Amino acid sequence: MAVALLQMHDIIKSFPGVLALNKAALSVQPGEIHGLVGENGAGKSTIIKVLAGVYKADGGTVTIDGEALQDVTPRSVHEAGIRFIHQELHLVQHFTVTESVFMGQELSGIGGLSRRDMKAKAESFFKDALGTELSGDLLIRDLGIAERKLVQIARALIDGAAKLVVFDEPTAPLSSGETEKLFAAITNLKARGIAMIYVSHYLAEITDICDRVTVLRNGKTVSVFEEVLPDSTDAMITAMVGREIEALFPDVSHCASADLLQVQNLHHQAFSNVSFDVQAGEIVGIAGLIGSGREEVVDVLYGLKKASEGAVKFNGKSQAFNAPKDAVAAGMVLVPRDRRHDGLVLDMSVSDNVNLASLDDISTGLIERRKMGLAKAGAVAEQLDIRPRDPSAKARNLSGGNQQKVVLGRWLTRGAKLFILDEPTVGVDVGAKVEIYALVEKLAADGAGVLVSSSDPGELVGLCDRILVMLRGEIITEISTDGLGVDHLVALTTGGQAA
Amino acid sequence: MNILARYGFLLIIAAFFIFFSLYNPAFLTIGNQLNMVEGSAVLLVLALSMTLVVAMGGIDLSVGIAFDMGAAFAVVALKEYDSSWQMACLVGVLGGAGVGVLNAVLIVGLKVSPFMATLGTFFIGSSVQRVFTNGGGPISHRRMPQEYRDLAVGDVFGIPTEIIIAAVVLIAYFIFLERSILGKRIHAIGLQRSAANVAGIPVRKYMFVAFVIASATCAIGGLIGSANIRMFTPLAGFSYLLDAIAAVFIGASIHPKGRPNVIGTLIGVLFLGMIGNGLNLMGLNFNLKDALSGLILVGALALAVGQKRLR
Repeated sequence: MAVALLQMHDIIKSFPGVLALNKAALSVQPGEIHGLVGENGAGKSTIIKVLAGVYKADGGTVTIDGEALQDVTPRSVHEAGIRFIHQELHLVQHFTVTESVFMGQELSGIGGLSRRDMKAKAESFFKDALGTELSGDLLIRDLGIAERKLVQIARALIDGAAKLVVFDEPTAPLSSGETEKLFAAITNLKARGIAMIYVSHYLAEITDICDRVTVLRNGKTVSVFEEVLPDSTDAMITAMVGREIEALFPDVSHCASADLLQVQNLHHQAFSNVSFDVQAGEIVGIAGLIGSGREEVVDVLYGLKKASEGAVKFNGKSQAFNAPKDAVAAGMVLVPRDRRHDGLVLDMSVSDNVNLASLDDISTGLIERRKMGLAKAGAVAEQLDIRPRDPSAKARNLSGGNQQKVVLGRWLTRGAKLFILDEPTVGVDVGAKVEIYALVEKLAADGAGVLVSSSDPGELVGLCDRILVMLRGEIITEISTDGLGVDHLVALTTGGQAA
Repeated sequence: MNILARYGFLLIIAAFFIFFSLYNPAFLTIGNQLNMVEGSAVLLVLALSMTLVVAMGGIDLSVGIAFDMGAAFAVVALKEYDSSWQMACLVGVLGGAGVGVLNAVLIVGLKVSPFMATLGTFFIGSSVQRVFTNGGGPISHRRMPQEYRDLAVGDVFGIPTEIIIAAVVLIAYFIFLERSILGKRIHAIGLQRSAANVAGIPVRKYMFVAFVIASATCAIGGLIGSANIRMFTPLAGFSYLLDAIAAVFIGASIHPKGRPNVIGTLIGVLFLGMIGNGLNLMGLNFNLKDALSGLILVGALALAVGQKRLR
């Protein structure tokens, strides 16, 4: 084999409390499309950020074209010809295509910017390198998402010095038709000899376009596929999932009773025809990739977004919550996926955050009784083992797992009939995960309904009684977790296997 | 170093206080001190209203309009409708509250940003005043009831009424914003609105009511102002806008967590009053006051930012 274009060897990267990369390796040959797969938290984005110079690795080497890169910085990596197509577009809505492509790298001649040159160069780049016609005068806001993605690509590659392009989840926001367009561009780039790293959750896409695939699990490279065939997905899933998760989950089976939540034919821009129910005492999971409509289902139920059609019956009454306050009043509470943004008021104390939804209980008239609040939060901290124990600590300074316990604690003090948990353990260390799972089991055992939306298939299989599987805006199937393999669930969510 | 950063601004205040006292002994006399405090009463009322709005994550550029409306409604009620002084006060406060309703509809109902919405209200309110007064002439009312006049010039047990009114508003705001669960919710909205919403706080209702309360408070300032000069002067409230904003941000910069707060605002208002008074006694150009308070405000904010970096 020729000298590898990129070689990352024994990369180690740790964050407080988490070993994100544990001697991970990644090697890319010139001109190939290299897939990078793994579950959430496996270390995909960490290794990409190490390569980009965003994170500084604690150990390991990065070699480009056979030469070790001493100092991996955004600049040195750029000079070595590596470009990144991030998930977020970072484009200015009011700029034209040409302005966007050349932003920060404008061409100028005598008498200022050479607008005509730039337009011609941009348009010919779209035609020759990306295989599509796109006028340089169009405004970004008038483009479809796929075209914006192409503009983003053009902006990274227009200087002609790119040797390796890293795509991070490029198709997440795209429909299948738009995905075709992007793939056409990628194939075009490959024909021009540019190597690519392709990070995606959609295994079907990986087998379609990748030449080789690296699989990460728990910060390690567990497998490299030298050849990718349409039926390689099964082997990839097995490599991604591993076999160690079962022990994390308490073994309780629930006797569900009484319809708590009934959802009928719910429609929204992001999903259609969603129907399901949750019984009291039951834990129901929603599985699906990012963009499958899973997040929006949660938002609509909780009153954060509006359904265009459909009916929701909660606790025996027809309900359409206009705002979270209505849901909370009815006994439906949410632990949101973005806990730092939607879950906690970061600059308030643990006590304030725990009591935020039940301030009436710690007041005389309208005057807050601080000591009572602190005592209550202290008891929650004790019960959930929140560290530090001090309820006057600022929520911002807690670790992810402890922050999540604070959000859960808020609803425990208030009490609720249905707990919706959206990505309950993202960014949570393993120890806190086990505690959170035990708590969820206890909630259900005490008669509450629980709806868990998660991108972690192991978590869903281990925790839930049954799982709704969503793919591109629809519930494609509902399965019991009895004897369900994680690999089977992953196959369903990635569209790798028919329901 | 940390202590210096935290108390830096208070040290600046103390330094100015000592400087003014040494420069002119008249500064320290009880008469002058009382004068200084009384002169700050109206600004304090408006600055407290601003504290509420800023703590909720907004800004109110229309405090002056609410001040003017308070004065206008009360004076017109007294002059044209011969109403009692109590009724005039009530009408004035309701007039101010009307400004708050307009702000709230724009911000909460139509989702215009607070900055743009209250700027719009400011323009609309200014124009309405000019049209109503045929181009901005004052509405004078020399024979107003003594009780109304006393809002500005009277006293209770020797303490000027203005100071008492401002103190009552101060205490009410302190309990409301710093001690009640309503205030806690408002701070939560200001610090992280989406989290407050997900926690089930009726964010829109709180914002609506808070904007109305804020403007009604400004109208109280307008009552005092009109009682003092026995007339309604169009656009008189505008002069308080920037001082009120400055006082709130000075107050936030000396708060350990950098939040807008009632006591901080009080200190900010007294500081601005002291600068004005002290420069006046030095016989310096009074117009220098703005330059100095501007410099000091920027200095204080720089200190507050440096303080956050230290932690």
